[in-house]
Amino acid sequence: MNIDLKGRIDSNNAPAVEKNIQERLAGANAQEIVLDAAGLEYISSAGLRVILRLKKSCHDLKIVNVNSEVYEILDMTGFTEMMPVEKAYRVVSVEGCEEIGRGANGKIYRIDQDNVVKVYKNADALADIQHEREMAKLALILGIPTAISYDVVKVGDSYGSVFELLNARSFSKILATEPDKMDWCVKEYVSILKKIHSTLVPAGKLPDMKETVLGWAHFVQDYLPEEAGKKLLALVEAVPHDDHMLHGDYHTKNLELQNDEVLLIDMDTLAVGHPIFEFGSMFNAFVGFSEQDHEVIKHFQGFDYDTAQRFWHKSLAAYLGTSSERKLREVEDKARIIGYTRLIRRKIRRQGLETEEGRAQINFWKERLLQLLEKTDTLLFSSNELEIEAVTEKLPEVQAFVEEHLEAADCPMKAKMQIGVAVEEIFVNIANYAYAPEKGTATVRVEFSKQPVTVTITFVDHGVPYDPLAKQDPDVKLSAEDREIGGLGIFMTKKMMDDVSYCYRNGHNILTLKKNL
Amino acid sequence: MLNINKTKTNDAVLLSLEGRLDTVTAPLLENELKELLPGTSALTLDFGKLEYISSAGLRVLLSAHKAMAGHGSMELIGVNDTIMEIFEVTGFSEILNIR
Repeated sequence: MNIDLKGRIDSNNAPAVEKNIQERLAGANAQEIVLDAAGLEYISSAGLRVILRLKKSCHDLKIVNVNSEVYEILDMTGFTEMMPVEKAYRVVSVEGCEEIGRGANGKIYRIDQDNVVKVYKNADALADIQHEREMAKLALILGIPTAISYDVVKVGDSYGSVFELLNARSFSKILATEPDKMDWCVKEYVSILKKIHSTLVPAGKLPDMKETVLGWAHFVQDYLPEEAGKKLLALVEAVPHDDHMLHGDYHTKNLELQNDEVLLIDMDTLAVGHPIFEFGSMFNAFVGFSEQDHEVIKHFQGFDYDTAQRFWHKSLAAYLGTSSERKLREVEDKARIIGYTRLIRRKIRRQGLETEEGRAQINFWKERLLQLLEKTDTLLFSSNELEIEAVTEKLPEVQAFVEEHLEAADCPMKAKMQIGVAVEEIFVNIANYAYAPEKGTATVRVEFSKQPVTVTITFVDHGVPYDPLAKQDPDVKLSAEDREIGGLGIFMTKKMMDDVSYCYRNGHNILTLKKNL
Repeated sequence: MLNINKTKTNDAVLLSLEGRLDTVTAPLLENELKELLPGTSALTLDFGKLEYISSAGLRVLLSAHKAMAGHGSMELIGVNDTIMEIFEVTGFSEILNIR
């Protein structure tokens, strides 16, 4: 039986309200009572006692359409634990509203100047909403700039979560309307991506992306020649477990510029894992989904296929800190393996094998996947940043790391050795002095710029402030007997690099070497 | 990595170096020289297969040069252009005997 509760229920009218309800129940023998609180503005303890007595007479009692003030009272007094209490959801219409974003679980619309709503696809969206809120909260606590929803609303037959988002524009919209902002977008996009990928997630908080991709690989294995299927599985298996955060659906519709702040708005796909898995989904977002039909990307992102491809390549280059085509192609190929695996599985699960068009699409991806599997031995790649224990024993690792990048950039032999000498000098200095007698780490970053082709190598440590460049240069004119052993290294570094600079910032020694190639 | 190949005839010693002479490998050469120098009057270092030298390598060369100065000679052969430039920048080309 449905009973409406209206207005205010307090000690003045509680006895009357109770009498009224009892009269309605008399003789009805109701097994189930639903109290509809849509019109209820306030309830005092006298009113609560009425409900409590009602609950004793009818076990199956619930309260629905409770507004937020009343909900708070029910929550505070423990009623939400004693009986089912359902909140009233504000009803919001998105008809005619601009779609500003699109995530794995739903679409995002702007409902007024200050607010957006994410409308979920699933019928049972309340669990999804709860999940995404948890994800967003976790991300925010770990330092990722994101918006957290403040309200759940009803949109048609499904639910939506509302976020405050003032004057915000998605990166997709910026790319579509202001092509000259491409490089700026790339920079911001990569900077947040790196922030995500450098965030360590406490164990068990997020799903492991490797498990998900292994699932795709197992599925697709059955549709590949035996050897290729085995190799695909082995490649994914060989990616080491990684507790760093992945976004999982990192494309430009999920990034919003709000005034000067960049915010992530779709957090329901957060996971942990190796960055190559992220690249797989990024490749699909910008290239994979629209590789056969270039119109797909226009419909989805609002910009064309060419823009998407350039954005993807520039982002990859900025992330890896290299402009070497060879290196970029190498990492892209690894991302494509994951991307195609996912696309094939997705299409087959959507009955793709049952139509001619679907089979053609699947074959297109399969052909490419087989070619890639043929020539790929690992899904791992090196980034342009190395964090390493600052001890001289690690010097060969540092040198190998730097050299790999130099070789990818076709650095001449002579410059390679000169850079090696400088790198050795700076790293050994950090190893010997920065943390002694304790130990610590150093971060080495290699970056290239074009025109002129310059390599920049940056060393960062958080040891005692120390400027190695402040030392006076040795006198190289002295005879052997008068020469002192020492000070030579920094002098050689200064002589052989085109620029060497030092600064101490936020507790870090930052030393930068530049060499024109 | 540094390989040191030793050829000894009477009191003349030829050390052929192959690989890298850096912070990690310089102590290998230093120890080798420490043993050899007292009984050696002519030391030749063959740099033909040496690819790399850093200040740590230069330090070993300078102390070897000083140690030999009293009782014999030390010379370097097969020095490539890149390493030669390092000797020039640091003034070592004036100090060492480079053939």
